[in-house]
Amino acid sequence: MIIVDALHKHYEVHEKEPGLLGSLRSFVHRNTHTVRAVDGVSFELAAGEMVGFLGPNGAGKTTTLKMLSGLLHPTAGRVEVAGFTPRERRTPFLKTITLVMGQKQQLLWDLPALDSFVVNQAIYEIPDDEFKATMAEFNALLDLTDILKKQVRKLSLGERMKCELAAALLHRPKVLFLDEPTIGLDVNMQVRIREFITEYNRRFNATVILTSHYMADVTALCKRIIVIDKGKIVFDGDLAQLLEQASPNKIIKLELAAHVTDAQLASYGTLHARDGLRAEIAVPRSETSQVAARILTELPIADVTIEDPPIEEVIGTVFTGQDRRTPSAQIEGEVLHAPGAE
Amino acid sequence: MRQVLNKSRVLLEVWFSHMSAYRAEIVIWILTGSVPLIMLAVWIGQAQAAGGAIGEFTPQRFTAYFLAAWMSQQLIVAWVSWELDFQIRQGTLSPKLLRPLDIFWEHWFAHVAERFIRIPIMLVVVIAGVMLVPGTQITPDVPHAIVYFVSIQLGWLIRFQIAYCVGLLAFWFDQATAVDELYFVIAAFLTGAFAPLELYPPAVRALIEWLPFPYTIYYPVQILNGSLGWDTIGRVLLIQIGWGLAFVGLRRLLWRQGVRRYGAVGA
Repeated sequence: MIIVDALHKHYEVHEKEPGLLGSLRSFVHRNTHTVRAVDGVSFELAAGEMVGFLGPNGAGKTTTLKMLSGLLHPTAGRVEVAGFTPRERRTPFLKTITLVMGQKQQLLWDLPALDSFVVNQAIYEIPDDEFKATMAEFNALLDLTDILKKQVRKLSLGERMKCELAAALLHRPKVLFLDEPTIGLDVNMQVRIREFITEYNRRFNATVILTSHYMADVTALCKRIIVIDKGKIVFDGDLAQLLEQASPNKIIKLELAAHVTDAQLASYGTLHARDGLRAEIAVPRSETSQVAARILTELPIADVTIEDPPIEEVIGTVFTGQDRRTPSAQIEGEVLHAPGAE
Repeated sequence: MRQVLNKSRVLLEVWFSHMSAYRAEIVIWILTGSVPLIMLAVWIGQAQAAGGAIGEFTPQRFTAYFLAAWMSQQLIVAWVSWELDFQIRQGTLSPKLLRPLDIFWEHWFAHVAERFIRIPIMLVVVIAGVMLVPGTQITPDVPHAIVYFVSIQLGWLIRFQIAYCVGLLAFWFDQATAVDELYFVIAAFLTGAFAPLELYPPAVRALIEWLPFPYTIYYPVQILNGSLGWDTIGRVLLIQIGWGLAFVGLRRLLWRQGVRRYGAVGA
């Protein structure tokens, strides 16, 4: 369904010193340098596959999505989506795909969401009966009935995102590019959106590429993960494998009732952060509950929580110092072992 | 064809609803475009000081001219350059590029829909103006009014395409709307909104005739006022079509080049 072969995207970026002097200098002579936003990315996706794109900010995730959806012209390399060349943006291609950007809204701001749906129906030439059927389905999955007639600007972020997604999927695209679709949403709403995406994928056998900062998005939706850093793919494979190898630890967050020395804390695991009476200890996943129980009985504790390391950190461990190695070597490398080590 | 009609109807309806939400602002925008009404007062004062008329222009003819000029200016209003400038620089153009509809049509119908809210308010002003200066005849007969309607649509075509081209400059420059500000100054002088071209020095008028600007306001007004013979009217309409098509061509060229650039560096 999707073929990406040796894809590159390089930008010329102007550099300017801050301040007036910098402005004057750049007026006379502009310094430019080339940014390799995407630097030789290759992968293939089968129809119906759901893949999570992970990577820190600026890794090249969104740039790749934009090339796949046809917004950006690749500097080099080949992209094929559903048999089309995206950059030509031909009508049959545009009717096959959708791009949802959590940070950008597409609904008409001053009108009820329903108006945007009606516009999309006309633009995508969706027959009335199909439109009604799709709307009924989306209503059932997302509970849209009460919010469709409210002005978009009066919707909450969560309500708006539900409408954004539904509007973007009204023409029943076979390929979905979702760029941070749950950004800024509360946990319940994230779950709703995830369920909806899963259900859409199941019903229409749609191919989905998803980028997200929320680990839970990715774990709930995607078996396969592609990790990108500095424009290159550093991991492409099974989620479980990535998690175990890149993030073998959990973080126990403590709020202490009285002072305890760093050395004492370090006896339970790797001391990850320390700020007065607050401390974070990284502990191997398998030992988490056991260690937490020990801490509770042995230390003066006011509060304790157990969390996964933040996704940025997990991914960070995949990236650190990885430039020239193969993906498998990177995953097995020593830097991957302990997020708490640095 | 059925799909084209359906898309037009839906876009027009939705944008009409959208513009209805802005009706109070539209009244204010109408007021900001009142240069011809101010000039009307100025020129009537001049005519009276000069003993009743300047050349062939009596207060009644000035009133007919400037009311028609004001109405025409209202009918060719285009703010699309601001919209495009924003969409291109903020990246909100991106999702629109992924829909199977040229964004041109969305802007087009937004402008057309707004006109329906503008027209009733305009008519009130024009009727009030005619009543204030007794003896004012805006148009001699129905045929001239009908041809005016065609001519002002062509004037709108020219103005809209120019504004669209200016907006597309945002693909290359940071502040394309600065050019549109410049347009307002130039247009006030060159479209005939300040004064009928008859009152310009002949050499200046000859120069202006070679530009598209008088074909957006001055000539449609002359048609409505009944100041032109039918053969001249035919020639004016042809020149309007010519300018309209020229700017359609320029817009398409700028769009193709600009989108390629947008796709190459930004989005």
